[in-house]
Amino acid sequence: MAGEPILEIRDIRKNFGAYQALKGVSLSVQQGEFIALVGPSGCGKTTLLKQIAGFEEPDSGSLSIAGQPMLGVPAAARPTSMVFQKLALFPHMTVADNIGFPLKLRKVDPAIIAKRVEAMIELMQLKREYLTRYPRQLSGGEQQRVALARSMISEPKLLLLDEPLSALDVKLKKVLQAELKRLHRSVGVTFVHVTHDLEEAIMLADRICVMRSGEILQVGGPNDIYYRPADSFVAGFIGDTNLLAVTVKGNAVSAPGLTAADPTVPAQYVAPGLGDGPALLMVRPELITPLESGQVADFTIDVTITEIFCKGGTVQFRSNTEGGAPLIFELPGASKQPADIGDKLRLGFPKRDIYLFRERVAA
Amino acid sequence: MSWYSDLPKFYQNQIKAMGLDDEGMSRRRLLKTAGAAAGAAAMSGLTFGRSARAASQMSYMCWEGYNDPRIIDPFKAANDVDIAFDLIVDSPGGFAKLQAGASREIDLVSSDMPWVTRMGPAGLALELNPDDYADVYATFYDQFKPPFEPLMSEGKTIGVATRWGWVGGCINTDITDPDTWRSYDPVFDAKNKDKICVMDWGDWPILPMALHAGIDPYQELDAAALEEVRKVLRAMFKNTRTLVADLTQAQKGLLDGSLLGCIGAGSYLTSAVRKQGHKNIIATVPDPKNGLKQGIIWVEATAIVKETDQPELAQKLLKHVVSKEAGHILSLLDTTCNVVTNKAVEALYTDEEKSILQTDYMWHAWDNSQMHRIAPNIDEMLAIWQEELAAAQ
Amino acid sequence: MNGEIDRSWRDPELLVKALPSVILQTAFFLAPLLMTVALTFQRTKNFQLTWTWSLDTWTDIFTKPHYWTILGHTLFMAITCVILCLVIAFPVAYALATRLRAFQDHVKVLITFAFLTDATLKTFGWVLFLDKNGAANYLLQQVGFPPATIDILFTDWATMLGMVYNLLSFAIFTIYLSIDAIDRSLILAAYDAGASKFRTFWEVTLPLARPGIWAASVLIFLLAVGVFLEPKVLGGGKSPMSAELIRQTFETRVNWPLGAALTLVLMTVAVFVVLLFNRVYSLKRHMGPV
Repeated sequence: MAGEPILEIRDIRKNFGAYQALKGVSLSVQQGEFIALVGPSGCGKTTLLKQIAGFEEPDSGSLSIAGQPMLGVPAAARPTSMVFQKLALFPHMTVADNIGFPLKLRKVDPAIIAKRVEAMIELMQLKREYLTRYPRQLSGGEQQRVALARSMISEPKLLLLDEPLSALDVKLKKVLQAELKRLHRSVGVTFVHVTHDLEEAIMLADRICVMRSGEILQVGGPNDIYYRPADSFVAGFIGDTNLLAVTVKGNAVSAPGLTAADPTVPAQYVAPGLGDGPALLMVRPELITPLESGQVADFTIDVTITEIFCKGGTVQFRSNTEGGAPLIFELPGASKQPADIGDKLRLGFPKRDIYLFRERVAA
Repeated sequence: MSWYSDLPKFYQNQIKAMGLDDEGMSRRRLLKTAGAAAGAAAMSGLTFGRSARAASQMSYMCWEGYNDPRIIDPFKAANDVDIAFDLIVDSPGGFAKLQAGASREIDLVSSDMPWVTRMGPAGLALELNPDDYADVYATFYDQFKPPFEPLMSEGKTIGVATRWGWVGGCINTDITDPDTWRSYDPVFDAKNKDKICVMDWGDWPILPMALHAGIDPYQELDAAALEEVRKVLRAMFKNTRTLVADLTQAQKGLLDGSLLGCIGAGSYLTSAVRKQGHKNIIATVPDPKNGLKQGIIWVEATAIVKETDQPELAQKLLKHVVSKEAGHILSLLDTTCNVVTNKAVEALYTDEEKSILQTDYMWHAWDNSQMHRIAPNIDEMLAIWQEELAAAQ
Repeated sequence: MNGEIDRSWRDPELLVKALPSVILQTAFFLAPLLMTVALTFQRTKNFQLTWTWSLDTWTDIFTKPHYWTILGHTLFMAITCVILCLVIAFPVAYALATRLRAFQDHVKVLITFAFLTDATLKTFGWVLFLDKNGAANYLLQQVGFPPATIDILFTDWATMLGMVYNLLSFAIFTIYLSIDAIDRSLILAAYDAGASKFRTFWEVTLPLARPGIWAASVLIFLLAVGVFLEPKVLGGGKSPMSAELIRQTFETRVNWPLGAALTLVLMTVAVFVVLLFNRVYSLKRHMGPV
């Protein structure tokens, strides 16, 4: 990641009375990046977005866009553009007037506005006859595209998306996620996307910034977040995963029921700075395989199947280890089912698929 | 003749069908009495303090003041009767109400004399035999003793006069010389612009102005006479500061000097302020102009409604209202003080009360005034009033 | 849509359900209206209604200009009152909905109290305040003004003051509700698109508050056309408006046919003016299909 960052945030703090919404957040975003801010509600992601957009001013810290300090600059003068959670399309304006509004404010010649609006309509794959309609006459997905078009027509340096997909149904969400990805590639604008859905973030973003209680927990690529979470919060945020309580001594791990010919874990699979003591061993469900007798793996563990769920493409097995800890694993749905509820099974997983980290990190 | 006999046949049939005709109503009255009796029986076990049911009930339509508890309560106690009041806001309205059917509920009416007299030809009033009231008339001022022509219709006596007063100029002697008000000229004097108050009381301000213009409004008027009325009203509006329907507003304006004089009222307006000690507020009557008396005497009278179901009680109440005791109270209310027709009351007045009522002036006012009746062309004059008011904007 | 309406007319259950409303409307609105119309064709003589069918009243109305002078004056006063109420109420409502959010509840309670206080009381209060030697002039005199600086009592100015004062809270509440209902993110979206505060107000807040402004205008207009207390008490009765003319005709002249006819004329003209407003200020054009 070379070059000047398009967005540079340093130690931003924001309090609402006694409530600390942002507790010193620093983040740097490169030109053309698609970065996702992820976290549960109240984590400060939307507050951070508002500081970037200029709707609110932080109590302290600095914020610059393309090298220009932005604090004190009103929202209207910032080279940013926001797609709102509720879309915020102007109900009293036609689609064309909505999309062209930012240009109208910049006193662009109406003929040029009309051309640019048509170009945006095309880019968003909307029908031309929608131009004269009012937002409420359009479907949710179409309104979404109009909102995107309005935000992009002024060619902002940063496009800020405040959970714009959260209100949509799953199917439409998938379509628009793909659309966002395509747009980002074709337009090359830097996207800052706020979402509470880590899967969406992993699917869309180049980099993900996980937040909790006004702090950034971890920033990294989707694989970093998925396979090398900073702590159990990040790991758990993505959905089903296995976190086995283990004890680390030297480089070796041990846990009840867990057997390994060589219990040492290479440094690359260990969170930086993890010392001896209790830790969590994460292994993703799809990376665990049942072992036939005689088969070996780097780590093996005996379990009893408690439940079986069919998840469409895969089948998920829930089981308990001998130590009583739950363990989930998934197999392709088409393969031969190895066991039934109540069966005992030996599972195995390779060293390269595990990750060792602390229960919880202080950011 | 009945209240609905003027209506087309169709409506009369409807009225009969609904039981609102005379026969039907007397049936209703019977039912109502029965219902009340049943209600009283039902409540006999309960005590509601003062509101224990009286033996009989009456309805009295009157101006505020006649219902003063000091007048009514002794009568209620002495006769074991409950009295419901229907207070009059304006005389034509009260009359219209009687005509529209309230006469079936009301037993006694105390209103402006012309409207009481009209109850005669309208078939609303019970004819009185003056001999029955000889005891009452004995102490009356001679002017009101029978035969008192203004209260008679086709030779029949319709009612008994109760309270009276005069209409002329109401002024504040501190800021205007009463001598200049020996005519209505100050009303039209350009230097009094925006200082004249006109009472917004229907015909009351119109009649004195007509008199000033040399027109007797109590005669049939021709177009030329009505044109004179129009001219005088137009001239009056030029100097008018405000039209006032509310007594206290006019009193306040006279007191604080923002109004030089009020037209369309008299003793009725000034007396309450005099009672509060402001003896500089007086009601005058202008001198006759070219032989035409300029003042107006108003009289209130009481009549018994023809359809009353309690003629004896109604007569008793009428006599009570004009009695010495009741008359004293009636003539010195807080809202307005006015002389009454019973001369015996005069003996009860203190000097202060006499001064409040301007008793030394009342016969002078009487002598220089017209007796108020219904002006035959009042509707035309009211229409002219509206036109000139609209044009004065 | 048409299909639904057709069906509902044929739906016996729906008709039965609508019956109470139809009966109420007929009994309390249509029937009195028809009676009023019938009344205008009757005559009065000496304060007595005579049941005949004649066009006298209508001839009178259409030949005497003063009824129309008063009506014109009434419309002028009502429209002026609407404009003044909007000009005053909008900033107040806007401030309540945006700037004063912290203590808007207190302000709302105060306005409600003012609103609930008897209009007669308030109007007479103004008389005492505005009088030549009333409170206002006393205060002005204390700070060095000549006596009776304010001399508007018993003029149209005082009438207008009373009308605006008594009707203002209707406008404030109606407009406040419409501004309060505007999604905050629309305002942010306008800022974000590059609009200044004024531009945002002009392009977004004002158009979206329009239904409220419109509702307030109609409400104030219809109430203002019917005022009689203010012209009588504050205006000194010298410049009566239609309601007072009607009252006078009914009560003082006891001319019910004329009163009924004047009432109908006023109603018709008021409805006509509202429709005209509506035409000029078409909601459809500004708001799209609702």
